[in-house]
Amino acid sequence: MGFLMILSTLIGGLTLSAQSAINGTFSRKAGTIETTLLTFLTGTLFLSIVILFFGKGNVLAILEVPRWQLSAVFLGVLFLLFIVMAVPRIGVIATNITIIIGQLVLGIVIDHFGWFNSLVIPIDAKRAAALVFMASALYFIYKGNKRSMEQAQG
Amino acid sequence: MRYIAYLAALLGGAALSLEGAIYGELGKTIGKLETSFYNFFVGSIILAVLWLFFGKGRLSYTLEAPKWKLLGGVLGVVYLTTIVISVPFVGVGITMVAVIIGQLAMSIIIEHYGWLGSQVAKINKEKILAVISMIIALVLVY
Repeated sequence: MGFLMILSTLIGGLTLSAQSAINGTFSRKAGTIETTLLTFLTGTLFLSIVILFFGKGNVLAILEVPRWQLSAVFLGVLFLLFIVMAVPRIGVIATNITIIIGQLVLGIVIDHFGWFNSLVIPIDAKRAAALVFMASALYFIYKGNKRSMEQAQG
Repeated sequence: MRYIAYLAALLGGAALSLEGAIYGELGKTIGKLETSFYNFFVGSIILAVLWLFFGKGRLSYTLEAPKWKLLGGVLGVVYLTTIVISVPFVGVGITMVAVIIGQLAMSIIIEHYGWLGSQVAKINKEKILAVISMIIALVLVY
């Protein structure tokens, strides 16, 4: 069971990079805002169906939660707008690695300060080393990408 | 111009982390799938407004494009749903590592073969080193 779960999560990761590639392609003809709008609209359609069959929570409770929790939707929109902008310019892999680094670095910061009621996990030697490896990954992907783009042109 | 694209992706990832932390709280009240639905629904409204004022592209391309180019939204839902299902079984750490490894491996393959309309960019040793550095960083974080 555990193994199957990990496998399906791996596939979840595959869909994320496929999404960025497809959206990058679509945006060349349709535009950045248009691509993001379409992604959100079709996502809403599919989730409506999923919720009708499998929803166990209560969407209407949205009116009772603290407002700051609802503000995350702006971040969701920004995330997709930025991705759709980046892919046509630097490619699929550089975009995905850079997203992950941004995600992990901020995740480490959130853990360190225990923002948003999360567990407080202070930065230790292991996490500091992780930051160094992420910086080197960013450097390598920039170099590698530049080289394969030059090869493609020349 | 290229630096701005890297910065955008970095900020996108940071936004995703913040979003995840805040939606974690929202999910406790209204449910996880419902939280995703809220995100997509209200996000559509915000983007519709943005599009009305700032849209310079061609939304009508949606009707002409080959159907596979319309799959972006569905894939996003598949991603969210697998995470929601997986976290209670194997924990956040393993879930994130598995998602990210899947994402990196697939990115390399997509670009190497130029699938899904992306520009072909061959694998080289720098890219492999980048992925190895990422995996070491992941193991250190979780």
